[in-house]
Amino acid sequence: MPGSTDRSPALAFRGVTAGYKARTVLREVGFEIAEGEFVSVIGPNGSGKSTMLKTATGLVRPLEGRVEVFGRDVLSLRPRERASLIGVVPQKLDSPMAFTVGEIVMIGRSVRGRWGGPDAADHDSAERAMIYTNVLDLKDRLFNQLSAGEQQRTALAMALAQEPRIIMLDESIAHLDINHSQEVLRILMNINRDEKITVLLVSHDLNLAAQIADRLMLVDHGRLVKNGSPGEVMQEELLRRVYDCDLRVRRDPFSGNPVVSGVLDAALRRTSARKRLHVISGGGSGIELFRRLLIEGFGVSAGVLNRLDSDAEAARALDIPCVLEQPFSAIGGEALSQARRMVEAADGVVAGLVPFGPGNLVNLDLALAAQQAGKPVWIAAGIASRDYTTGKAAAAKARELIAGGAVEWSNIHELMARIEETWPEQQTKQ
Amino acid sequence: MSLTRSKSNKKGGDGCRPFPEKGSPKNLRRALLLAFAVPVLLAVSLMLGPSGIGLPDTSTISGRAILDLRLGRFFMGMMAGAALSTSGTVFQAILRNPLAEPYVLGVSGGAGLGAAMSILVGGSFLGSAGLPLTAFFFAILTLLAVYAIANQGGVPSVYSLILSGVIVSAICSSVIMFLVSTADIEGMHTVVWWMLGNLQPSSWIDQVVSLLLISVAAGALWLLSPALNVLTLGREMAHYQGLDAGLVTILGLLLSTMLAATAVSMGGMIGFVGLIVPHVMRALFGPDHRWLIPASAIGGGAFLVLCDALARTIMAPVEIPVGVVTALAGGPFFLIVLRKKMKYAWID
Repeated sequence: MPGSTDRSPALAFRGVTAGYKARTVLREVGFEIAEGEFVSVIGPNGSGKSTMLKTATGLVRPLEGRVEVFGRDVLSLRPRERASLIGVVPQKLDSPMAFTVGEIVMIGRSVRGRWGGPDAADHDSAERAMIYTNVLDLKDRLFNQLSAGEQQRTALAMALAQEPRIIMLDESIAHLDINHSQEVLRILMNINRDEKITVLLVSHDLNLAAQIADRLMLVDHGRLVKNGSPGEVMQEELLRRVYDCDLRVRRDPFSGNPVVSGVLDAALRRTSARKRLHVISGGGSGIELFRRLLIEGFGVSAGVLNRLDSDAEAARALDIPCVLEQPFSAIGGEALSQARRMVEAADGVVAGLVPFGPGNLVNLDLALAAQQAGKPVWIAAGIASRDYTTGKAAAAKARELIAGGAVEWSNIHELMARIEETWPEQQTKQ
Repeated sequence: MSLTRSKSNKKGGDGCRPFPEKGSPKNLRRALLLAFAVPVLLAVSLMLGPSGIGLPDTSTISGRAILDLRLGRFFMGMMAGAALSTSGTVFQAILRNPLAEPYVLGVSGGAGLGAAMSILVGGSFLGSAGLPLTAFFFAILTLLAVYAIANQGGVPSVYSLILSGVIVSAICSSVIMFLVSTADIEGMHTVVWWMLGNLQPSSWIDQVVSLLLISVAAGALWLLSPALNVLTLGREMAHYQGLDAGLVTILGLLLSTMLAATAVSMGGMIGFVGLIVPHVMRALFGPDHRWLIPASAIGGGAFLVLCDALARTIMAPVEIPVGVVTALAGGPFFLIVLRKKMKYAWID
């Protein structure tokens, strides 16, 4: 296997879009990993980390682009060839039948494709793998009766017995106690340093990844959003946006590694300084807004919405005060005056990503009224593309709002940041 | 490119086995014992029957006929038992489910439907090999139907396979019921008797065809046994271990369907063998399919021969259906074995 392919990167994604039957998970992912590197893939749950690993091993076929392992398309590799290049340690190895640890590790040698019993080379290799992972004493024990940490070390031994050039781990140490995870990590660092085996560690533990990897690849919504050294990737602003939560990055005083921690107290403090926001939405655009604003501790009101609108349903379910109009009809005078009273009681107005037509255009007048009363208004950007009124009246009103000081936002994270800028006293109160 | 190439010399040189292959000598002894059981059973089988206990007198014509009959029953039992038990072993490995057996994927149901139709319609259009071939054809058809129902793109999951197998199986048995209820008395009697399980040899051609099908399928499955070992870790793991998991799954399902269908066409619906014998053999020989498949074949065959010998002797001259004996006699015995050895058979 070595030889001409040695100069090629150990693993390369070239514009890979991949996913399952009806769902695209990875979008245009491109990167290279050189042989001997220790790379960690991080990202929120459901961001596509595991799919990336499955695509790298040819388990999931890319819809577009290609995956290269030492310069060769992973799909063109014969199964045994592939297994002798890439070893995978799963999240949890599950063996319903009573194989011993020794037998499980020996399965890693089935890559060699002999039918009969293992030969001396197989025994040597399996034993080396077991020494490395410290499971040699367990080799006659039944795999199922081991502790989680011992099982993971056995799984690692099995992957090592394949004598691969790349080892990939899929959250393999996520559920281990700190002593066991440290031990597995040390083993990984050893094989990476001594054997020049490339390691790709998929992990949702940012600190662990930053502590051990040469390079981090941050995945979000199926896209590779950042690819660089731990210091480059562990940026507060970036992580806040990707993980959509408040967090803080500091330097570990001992190692100098960046360390992330969540910030729960800010949200708790806000609850005490309760402000009320009126939300203009419709057609489902308000659901995420309601949820987020409530979590952040704001009082929320909504309207005017049409009955049967999914936002109206959500408001009812979340017990949010809401002005309703008959389904499929333009907003009438009575509903509007009710809504005006609601806006007067609120401290600010948020306009969501709702399309505007002649029926709900008056909702923007609510925002204008609030602005004239000196209250802050946050309006979702790009209103022109959602404007179905004659003569683009909604866009005109939006311009008027912005001229009067309304702040534009394009995603929830940005909205929360803008609100915080407007009302910074909420953070520092108490 | 080896892992710690430097260390490899140190170990290889001193000649000692780092792995003391602990299971194998014990397995070898057990396997010899099992192999030894076959001639003993042959003798037992030749000496037991409704016409009396003891070797029939070969100097008389009726004596020779009886010996012939008993010999035929022995071979039928060995073949059907081996086929059922091997098929169960492989189904359990591929589906990673301890409840899997030839019946669970609807395969036996399909084979039974084919056989019932063949009996009722007359089935002579294919000559005397009609029954096994029709049964096999229907079993494959059922497997394809089950696979198609379970398939949601890619390789179907184990759970959807089992679920659709149970559904298709239920459909097959209702169609059999319908056929039986509308058949004439004679046809009804034949089908019901056949469904209860009965190892009466039909024709020599039948037996030769069955022997051929069973040896080919069981042999091929034995060759697949290292792949089956890997597959017990799950399809994803098997992929990472360099196995074409989809191919092995399909091959294994096809071959074990072939075994189950042949057994059904030979002896009717004989329960219990395909489910319990694999578990007992796994408890005795461990989960390595290189040992397990031959052990299951011999063990299943020996078990069915013994049950058949009992079935035709206990209430002589009345013969009890062998399917009744397999569960009644085998149940308690296997329960004892499994109680002591379950941890070596299946853990979940």
